[in-house]
This record gives sequence, C-alpha cells and structure tokens, in this order.
Amino acid sequence: MPATKPQSMTLRTYQVGFGDCFLLTFHYAKRDRHVLIDFGSTGQPKTAPADLMLQVANNIKERCGGKLDAVVATHRHKDHISGFTTSKGKGSGDIIASCEPTVVIQPWTEDPDAQPDATQATHVSSGAKAFVSSLHSMHAVSESLLLEIQRLRGGISRTAFNQLAFLGEDNLTNRSAVENLMTMGKHHYYVNAGSKSGLATILPGVKTYVLGPPTVKQSQAITKMRSKDPDEFWHLLGLAGQSLKRGNGQLFPKAETYAAPPAQTRWLIHRMQALRGDQMLELVRALDTVMNNTSVILLFQVGDKKFLFPGDAQLENWAYALSQEKNRKLLADVHLYKVGHHGSLNATPKSLWGLFTNRAPLQSAKRLNCVVSTMAGKHGTPSKGTEVPRSKLVEELKKMSNYFTTQDLKGKNLFKDFTFDLT
Amino acid sequence: MVRESLPQPRTRKMTIIAQDPSVRVKEGRSLRILTARVDVPAEELAPGPSGHRVQVIDYDSSNNTLYKPARLTDGDPYEVVTDAQLLSDPGFHAQNVFAIVMRTLARFEFALGRRVSWGFNGHQIKVAPHAFADANAFYSEQDRALMFGYFQGQENMVFSCLSHDVIAHETTHALVDGLRERYTDPSSPEQAAFHEGFADVVALLSIFSLPAVVETVIDLGTNAPDKNASELIKASALTAARLRRSALFGLADEMGQELSGIRGNPLRRSAELPPSKEYIDSPEYIEPHKRGEIFVAAIMNAFIEVWVNRLQGLGKKARGGLDRRRVVEEGANIADSLLTMAIRALDYAPPVDLQFCDFLSALLTADREIRPDDSRYNFRSILRSSFESYGMPPTSRPHADGDERGIWESPPVGLTYDRTHFESMQRDPDEVFRFIWENRKALDLFEEAYSHVLSVRPCMRVAPDGFVLRETVAEYMQMITLAASELKSLGITAPPEMPPETDVTIYGGGALVFDEYGRLKFHISNRILNADRQTRRLKYLWEFGYFQQGSSAFRRFANLHRLRAMNLPTVMPGEE
Repeated sequence: MPATKPQSMTLRTYQVGFGDCFLLTFHYAKRDRHVLIDFGSTGQPKTAPADLMLQVANNIKERCGGKLDAVVATHRHKDHISGFTTSKGKGSGDIIASCEPTVVIQPWTEDPDAQPDATQATHVSSGAKAFVSSLHSMHAVSESLLLEIQRLRGGISRTAFNQLAFLGEDNLTNRSAVENLMTMGKHHYYVNAGSKSGLATILPGVKTYVLGPPTVKQSQAITKMRSKDPDEFWHLLGLAGQSLKRGNGQLFPKAETYAAPPAQTRWLIHRMQALRGDQMLELVRALDTVMNNTSVILLFQVGDKKFLFPGDAQLENWAYALSQEKNRKLLADVHLYKVGHHGSLNATPKSLWGLFTNRAPLQSAKRLNCVVSTMAGKHGTPSKGTEVPRSKLVEELKKMSNYFTTQDLKGKNLFKDFTFDLT
Repeated sequence: MVRESLPQPRTRKMTIIAQDPSVRVKEGRSLRILTARVDVPAEELAPGPSGHRVQVIDYDSSNNTLYKPARLTDGDPYEVVTDAQLLSDPGFHAQNVFAIVMRTLARFEFALGRRVSWGFNGHQIKVAPHAFADANAFYSEQDRALMFGYFQGQENMVFSCLSHDVIAHETTHALVDGLRERYTDPSSPEQAAFHEGFADVVALLSIFSLPAVVETVIDLGTNAPDKNASELIKASALTAARLRRSALFGLADEMGQELSGIRGNPLRRSAELPPSKEYIDSPEYIEPHKRGEIFVAAIMNAFIEVWVNRLQGLGKKARGGLDRRRVVEEGANIADSLLTMAIRALDYAPPVDLQFCDFLSALLTADREIRPDDSRYNFRSILRSSFESYGMPPTSRPHADGDERGIWESPPVGLTYDRTHFESMQRDPDEVFRFIWENRKALDLFEEAYSHVLSVRPCMRVAPDGFVLRETVAEYMQMITLAASELKSLGITAPPEMPPETDVTIYGGGALVFDEYGRLKFHISNRILNADRQTRRLKYLWEFGYFQQGSSAFRRFANLHRLRAMNLPTVMPGEE
C-alpha cells in the first residue's frame, strides 16, 4: 500500500438539528487529514444543550488536533454556515478559524470578484455578477418579509407564520459567518461544475470532482426555455420591500385610516392576509431554492470507493452535471450519499437516484450508505407533500440503502462515526 | 305644473391617468402626467367608491392598514389637481382604478350587447388598489377581487393601480374567466397563451382608444416637434413603419419601465416581432407567455395597417398633408373598433381548447354578422392577412362559393327544433341541453361523455344599419375521464411513457349561436372525439410535467403573473 493513499476514511456526522455538519477524516499512514463540510443550524432539538454549536466546534478542534486541512461551505444558508459565526473571539466560528484551514472551498457565487461591490475589473462575466447581485437582493427580500410577517401576525396561519419565519431567517445574510469564511484559510477556491477542487495536494490519492454548482453560462447551456434570467425580478423585489422599513411603513401618512375595520371590509381583509401569507411563502421558497442551487457538489473517489456530498443542491443544480455522460458514469457506483437538502422533495432527483447501482434491498458489503442530517417539523407540510425529510423519500432510502439520520442521535450524543475501509 | 324630473344622465366623467405616471406631456415649460377624462356608467356611489359592480376597499396587507374610503358623490373632483396630488391622494387612486375597471366592463357589455358577469358567483368585484408591497397585480377568483401591488422603484413609489394597461389587463382576466370559464383548464400552450395575449390586446387597445394618448405618441414619429407649429402632418410621414415607430415603440418607451416587473413588455415585444410563419412551430414559442406575444403582434400589426390604409385613402385627397386631429381621431376610433371586434369574437369562439386560428375565425364571423360591409376599413381582410403572416390561418376552410374566407361553417342540416320551445331556448340551460341531446348525432357529440350547458346568453347588438342584431349564445362542454390504456379505443395515442393506469380527462365542447328566430346559425365546436387534437394536448401536458405535478388551480392568475415577471415557464418539465 503506497503511503500516498488513505487507508480508510471516517465520516463524523454531527447532530446539529436542522443543518449540516460533517467532518471527514482521511487516515493516511503518516497523519490524518481533516475536511470539514458545512457547519450550521437553524433549529435544534429541545433536548440539545444551549451551547451545542460551541460543543461541536470544540469537538471538531479536538478531533483534528487543532488543524483543519480544508473547510467546505457548500452555500450561504444559515443551516450550513451559522457555525462559522464569530463572537469576540469566543464564538464557534472563532474556534474553527483557530484551526487554520489550509484551503477554504466555496461556490463561485462567493468569489469576492463577483460581488456587487467588487471594484476591480475581473474575470467574472457580467451575467455572473448580475446573478450574484440578485442573490444579495434575496437577502433584502428575506429581511423585509420578516418585518412584514410581524405586522401580519395573527392574520396568517400559525403554520404559514412559522414557515415564513424559518425560511426568512435561513436566507438572511449571516454576515459574520460569511466574513469569517472569507478571511480564514490560506487558499480560497471558488468552484463551479468541472473546476478544480483545490484538494489535490491536501488529499493525495483522493480524486475530488466538483459536479456543481453550474455557472450562469453552464446553466444556460442546458435550458431549452428562454434564457433571460430572473435577476431583475429579485432586484425589483429587493427594492419593493424597502418602503416597509421606513417609519411605520405607511404609504400615505396623512390619509385617514381605521383603527378597527368596519364589518363590510372584514371578509376581504381576512382573505387578503391569508393571500399575502401564501404569496410570501411562495417567494421565500423560490429564493430558498435559488440559494440551495448554489451548493457545491463534491464527489470524493479513493480507489473504487466514492463519497458524494451535494450540500442542498436541487434539481436545477444537478441538471447540469447529469446532462453529461461522464458524470452519470462517475456517479453510478457511489458508496456513500449524503442525502441532499436534509431529505427534501426535490433534492434527490429521480434521475440521480436511478443512477446508483449500489441500491439494494438486502444487506451486502457493497450496499449504498445514505446519511441525512435533518430535523422533522421545521420545513414544509406533510399535507402538501413538502415536508422535510419527505416521507416518501425516507421510505425509499430505508428500503434500498443503509440509512442513517441524525434524528436518531438523542441525548448527549453529539455525533456518529462511520468508517470506510479504502484498502 | 309639477313635472317629473328629467331622466338621470347615463354616464359620468371621471379623470384618470391616461397610461401611467411616466407618460407625460409638455405643459408650458414643465412636463405633466398625461390624464384623460373618460365616461363611466353613472350611478349613485357609496363610499369606496362602491358601485353596483365594483367596490374599492383600500386595505394594505403589507402594513395591515385600512384607509378610509373615497367619497365620490358628485362631479369629477380630480379634474383640476396637481401631479403631486394625483400621486399622493389615495382617493384619486381609488377613483382611477374604479373608473378603469368600470370602463373596461362597460366596453365588454357594449360589445357583447348584454350584461357581462365576473368570473365568480357574485355581482361586485372588490378592488384593493394598494394590496401589498410587491411588484405584482392580479385577479383572484377565490377572493373575488383584483389586487394591485405597489413597490419602491429606483426613485419613486410605483403604484400598479395607476397604470391603465395593468388595470385593464387584470379586469379582462376577470371578465374572460366569466365568459369562458374553461379557458384556464390545462390544455395547449395556445389556450394558456390566449388569456394573457387577449388581456394584453384589450389593455393596449383601450389605451390607444384614448385620443390623448394617440396624440402624445403620434408627435414622436411624425416630425411634428411642436403641436402648435403645425396642424398638418405630411401624408408621407404616415407609413406603416413610421406609425409603428411612433405609436407602438413610442408608447412602449414612455410606459413606466419599472412596471414591466408586473406586466412584462407586451407592447414592445409585439412591436419587435416582425411577421413570420416560423414562430408558431418554434420550440422557443411553446412557452405560453412568449406564445401570447405572437397573438398580440398579429392584432397590433393589423391595427397599424388599418390605420395607415385609412389615412392613405384620406391623404390622396388632401395634398398638403392631413389634419393632425383627424389622424389622431382615426387612430383612436380604429383601436376602439378593433377592441369591440375582439371582445365580440369571444362569443364565437369554441369554449374549450382554444387555438389562435379558432379565434381568428371567430373574429371574422362575429364581425361579418353585425357589419357585413367591411369596405371602408377592410378590418377583416387585414386581420386575416396579419394572422396568416404569423402562421395562423383561420381554422375554418372555404366551404361554399362566394363565402368570405375564414368564417365559420353553417350548421348541419336536419336539426330538430320540434320538442323545444323558442322562449325558454333563450335563457334556460335545461331547455338548451334538451336541444343538444335531441340533436347529439347531428352535432357530433360523444354520447358517453358527461355533458353540461355552461351558459345561455341572449344578446342584442346594434348594427351600423341601425337595426338590432339579436342572438342567443349558449356554450356546452363535454368531458370524460379514462385510464391511459383506454384512450386507444377512441383513436387517441397516450404518451409512450405514461403509465397505463393514469387517469386522463379529455374535454370537448361548443358554442351555439342562435338567430333571432331561434334557429341555429353557427355551431362552433372542438369535438371531444378529435383524436389528433387530444393526442397533441396529452403530449404537451405530459412533456411539461402536468401529470407529475397534479393540477392546482390555486390562485392561478397570481402565479401566472409571478412566473411571467420572473420570465419562467408556467409549467416546468419537472422530475418530481
């Protein structure tokens, strides 16, 4: 066995409630090498300790001996990056930063050169910049929606309210975490489908493929529909909500208003409140999906073992990778699949699931392993078939793979390890 | 002697913003928002304003604020006000939206010669002029309401309730939904495109029927820098190309660009679409909004053509040039006539699975019935060639010598009227159903399908000869749900990948137009047993994921507009 190849890999799956946090440890003859994929949470089990994220951060630090080789932040949702938040040197993000990751991998949309405030002329195309700037507008939309639901409280159903609050918050900027990711690490890689991962020298003997996210150009190459992107729409909406932030937000401060609505107007008011709730939910879901689709998709290969980490990539992100024959071949014999987007409806497209040849109803050495980090009751509703994790998908995963969910980690159990032999 | 008072006036003038606040005219040294005074059916309004068909309720859901209602008891309180007042007075916003909704309704009632219902069970549509802080406006059938959003633009607050075309567009959805309730069924890209395209056509022609708007845009392209400098326009300036540039592009440029987040850019896009037969079969135009643009382009091009023809005819007589006012008046009149024609055609259109080519036949037939002599404006031949130039020939093929091309065929001979009664045939759906059932063979109905008379509507239209054209228009539909494996027995091919047990509902139906003696004049139908059409429809719905998604009519117009603004397809070829 050459020393340049890992002999085994241990996947440490943390219980972070609704979020993702995975530590991959590649065991080499000389030393272990550690890759942290995501560290975030938007909701924790009731039994979780108040300082859960700090405990996880400390555990990561301990596990890697104070040195991370790489950090991957698949996309900027709170449930994937909130753990990177700093707090006067004492936050969980400060602990991760102190592990001085050699490489930080993020989607191309995080490239400082692609940001709307980038001042330098760069390699980033104007289409890509427009897209990134629309992602920023989405944060603004989330911000104003959160403000609006407070005003509508009582007018919309509790379920709609909770969903809105959850999704709205997940899509806020997470400025501290974003800045921490930008400054930690020696080398930064902003990747897209087909680009270099930046892990080649860090993980000898491991091939790392970047399968997503596609760039704007790559996405356009596979859409049959009109290719004009909806960037403008989000800018408009980002602006639209600005008026709500001013004073009491009223449009006509001098106009007379009712303190209590007269009887003949109540039916419509009630309907309009429900409608507005639905509309906001639709919007925030749409922007949530766009953000999910900026997820980095990584496939690690050691010998004949393959490990797939797609973040929260949904159909539209996958579509580009799956349009290419070579990727479909690569994905066929995946050994471990980190279930996309906490087990949601459309993050495990049938065209992906169908590729996995190691799916099998019966136990065997080759049988596919599936790991999902999730928490039921936070996202979507069963009556609409949008609940996360989606019961239909979970059934299928249980039937056809060795299935593990972080929901089984109860009490003080912070994580679960899975070791894969790579010899 | 004490006398009875004179009859009350039937209309009332109200000031509206002619298009939207960004369309302005020079007044002295400054630019002012272009307004117009329009006729609205007169009535005693309750606060709101709240009338017999429209109730304005100014509730802002984003701020949870209910404004006190506007009181428009008498006169036109906004005839002489500043621009600042127009923008900042919610009472004016209420009047603007009320007047345009009522005007659009009145336009439909005039064209169809009868009262026209909204697309829901009720008489009064509720209108929320400041419904939410969002770049959206729509008709919501469930809420029996028109909702108009507002949003912060780059510089000013943008109010969709101050945009004539947006209001007319949404009102048209509510009216067409009442007249042809099955047009929102999942069918073909064309039926989906029709609702949008037709609403755009009504909106644009309503604006062009205002002389103030025509006057403003005409100066842009006819080298009339100052309207006071010359009252004449050179005939050479009145070519199709010049008018297209001034009227269509001119207005498109003036319209509030930020509102394109709500309405798209139907005028600009249709003006940019030169005639070609390629679009209709091109995959790019399968997306419903984009497909609707072909329909809008065919009608707007016909508008320009009729106008130019008319002006050139007049121009030959007046060598020095044409009177500006005449040019404007002709444009506005032509837009108005085309608008009437387009609305009338709805009665002559099949009630299910509508295609643009069907609509053209409906347009030609309905117009010929009331206005046999078309020699002055040549509306029909120009519309026919315009549609044909976009690859949309009339559905109806030539049937008898001397018949005008494209009009619907006459009904089959041998229909029996013996067991039905003339009087009840004019209003009673059960009686009409009896007629249909008695004649099901002659009318080519599918006996096994569920059949239903959707409406029976007597109407009276005034013809140019001064006489009244009396018709009764009834519509029926048929539907049947079969397993995909059973479709073969009807000659329909299910998509190859469709599981054989999939439930598939197919539709058919027709419009029956009876003359003043109660005899059937036209039977305009899309038969349920048209295997080719059904196969095409299923193929389209399958490919675009309809069967995977399940169908939801949930606030469909709201979603439709959202998707339009986002430039996304209305149905995604999805996997889940």
